[in-house]
Amino acid sequence: MAATHEVTIADRGWRRRERRATAGLLAGPLLWLLLFFVIPVGFVAAYSVGAVGLFPTDTGVVSLSSWERLLTGGSVYMGLFWKSIRMSLTVSAVVVLVAYPVGYFLALCVGRRKYVLVLLIIAPFLTSYLLRVLAWKVILGDAGVINSFLQWVGLTDRPIEWLLYSQFTVMLVLAYIWVPFVALPVFVSLNNLDPSLLEAAGDLGASRWRTFVRVTLPLSLSGVFAAFLFVFIPTIGEFVTPLLVGGTSGYMYGNAVQDLFTRGLDWQTGSTLALFLLAVVALLMAVFGRFLRLREIAT
Amino acid sequence: MAQKRFTRPVGRRDFLRYAGATGMAVSMAGVLAACREADQPSTGSQGSAQPSFPPIEEEPGGLQVFDWSGYGNGDYYPKEEKKFLWGQYAKATGDTPEFSLFENDDSAYTKVVAGARYDVAHPCGYRYGDWVDLEVLQPWDTSLIPNFSSLNPKLMTAGQFDGQQYFVPLDWGFIAPLVNLDHVDGSDESFGVLFDERYKGKISWIDTLNMMVVAAYYLGIENPWEMTDEELTEVRDFLISKKGLVRFYWNQSYDFWLAFKKGEVWAGYAWPDTVGYADAAGMNYLYMKPKEGRISWVCGLGLFADSQNYRHAHEYVDSWASKEAAEFLLAYYYYGHTNTEADLSVVPDGVREALGLDDPTVLDEPNAHPETRIPRRSVYQQYWSEVQAA
Repeated sequence: MAATHEVTIADRGWRRRERRATAGLLAGPLLWLLLFFVIPVGFVAAYSVGAVGLFPTDTGVVSLSSWERLLTGGSVYMGLFWKSIRMSLTVSAVVVLVAYPVGYFLALCVGRRKYVLVLLIIAPFLTSYLLRVLAWKVILGDAGVINSFLQWVGLTDRPIEWLLYSQFTVMLVLAYIWVPFVALPVFVSLNNLDPSLLEAAGDLGASRWRTFVRVTLPLSLSGVFAAFLFVFIPTIGEFVTPLLVGGTSGYMYGNAVQDLFTRGLDWQTGSTLALFLLAVVALLMAVFGRFLRLREIAT
Repeated sequence: MAQKRFTRPVGRRDFLRYAGATGMAVSMAGVLAACREADQPSTGSQGSAQPSFPPIEEEPGGLQVFDWSGYGNGDYYPKEEKKFLWGQYAKATGDTPEFSLFENDDSAYTKVVAGARYDVAHPCGYRYGDWVDLEVLQPWDTSLIPNFSSLNPKLMTAGQFDGQQYFVPLDWGFIAPLVNLDHVDGSDESFGVLFDERYKGKISWIDTLNMMVVAAYYLGIENPWEMTDEELTEVRDFLISKKGLVRFYWNQSYDFWLAFKKGEVWAGYAWPDTVGYADAAGMNYLYMKPKEGRISWVCGLGLFADSQNYRHAHEYVDSWASKEAAEFLLAYYYYGHTNTEADLSVVPDGVREALGLDDPTVLDEPNAHPETRIPRRSVYQQYWSEVQAA
């Protein structure tokens, strides 16, 4: 009985220490999250309903008018949002399709030099994002490499104007920017694949294509979905690339948010748009997380 | 046991409990800090007697300048900007200014409203009233600016509020269409060239709500600076209908110049710098004098109320007001300068003619409409946002 009592006391003491240790370990990240995410988002929410004002023209009246305008189709921004969704989906799908073979090749076809090639893939990150975007202006411009070549070989007699300053340009440049990002998670998921599974499929008479469809692809789907999200989420809110190469038709939802904050003098609408985007992204994450059961796909 | 400590998962309830505790702790810290602040006496400068300023030797230096790119920070002409725009300042004070840049007047104003503070800033005339209303500026003591007497007194009035010189207007220029005569018919000089179907895909607009004003002049609206909602709707719908003609909106004048030079665009909303570049490149260009009248702008330096570099700031604006600075702006940027003693021969003949620098009435109505404060600027911006998003 006494021994049991001592064990219980020791157990309680242990639990107390464990709780303290957990609290101590979590305090830093939670504080960071609170200070640099929750509180700022709270401010943005306050701006979105007019509870906080910045400009002399702000009325200070709390209202849901900007939310109402956005959600009931009273503003042009919902159309812009769907346009950005379409563009982001296209970019994400194309990037995954392009990057998958790259990741596959690196993980399963290259021998000892695979990590050297991985380094080569991520080499563009050593240069400035802006430079990489601006380089496309040189390539796609009226007097750029592509137009000059097409005219030189006689395929066109004048520059193809939609190559630069269009939705196409924005999607092309975004795809170029994100391909290495996407190739990496695909590479990691394929690199971790147990080679004995592929050998077993071969031993059982499966063709290479059947092995890919029935074994490799399902086992790498977690990487594919992660890669898709890696591209989709940031590109919905993208504003730098459209600003530089998008022209009038490449204007995206992120540009509207940036304009409203930096020169629109309308932080209420800007905050509403930003929060709406945040909510949509959070919802998408929840859907992906709960219904696609990424962990189960991976195992 | 140690194994158990680090492998036991933290459940959702645990996580929420710890998150709640963290939130509570931070909130309490915030409340305590606010209480402590409230207990302390205010040290603000509002309501104080006429301030006296320490001698320049006692000022901290490191003048904080909030300015356009290429106006001293060396983006365009690293040596010359330093030599001509603030060389005199550096000589007089031994100080090197620190530059923060803005892209356009709206973003500059927004930054200051949001709390950014500097020693001097360089907005343009149509925003002066907004800046003064913010009560973040103090007037200049023009007796500390020896070159002030050389500045055009007529243009100085733009910087005066309540009889005090809150801004020292320095650089000026125009807004008008610049066209490539190899491709564009220049016989009808009008803002209409920016909305002309014949030049579809070869037109560039500026990426600011100034396009609303330009379109309003073209449409014959009586006062483009104070449009009613109906007029704004008309202008917005017009711009949306013409948006398909536009290749791109420009944010930096130099971006427009590069596209103009390469032939990617043939016509665009332009400042005088692009005219100078086109002239220097030997292009067959026309800087239009539109029948609706050019729009003129003037920009200048304002002094922040809480500046610790009061005398440094006056030295800086004096440097900018000098004849040397004026001739640098004329020769390198092809902008006008309010210093009337500047030698106009530094400007190429073609540019001098295109800008009308020899004409003393060039800035007067109806030749040019001065950029004016837009009282309902945020409403204009909403309509412009709709044009962009459409």
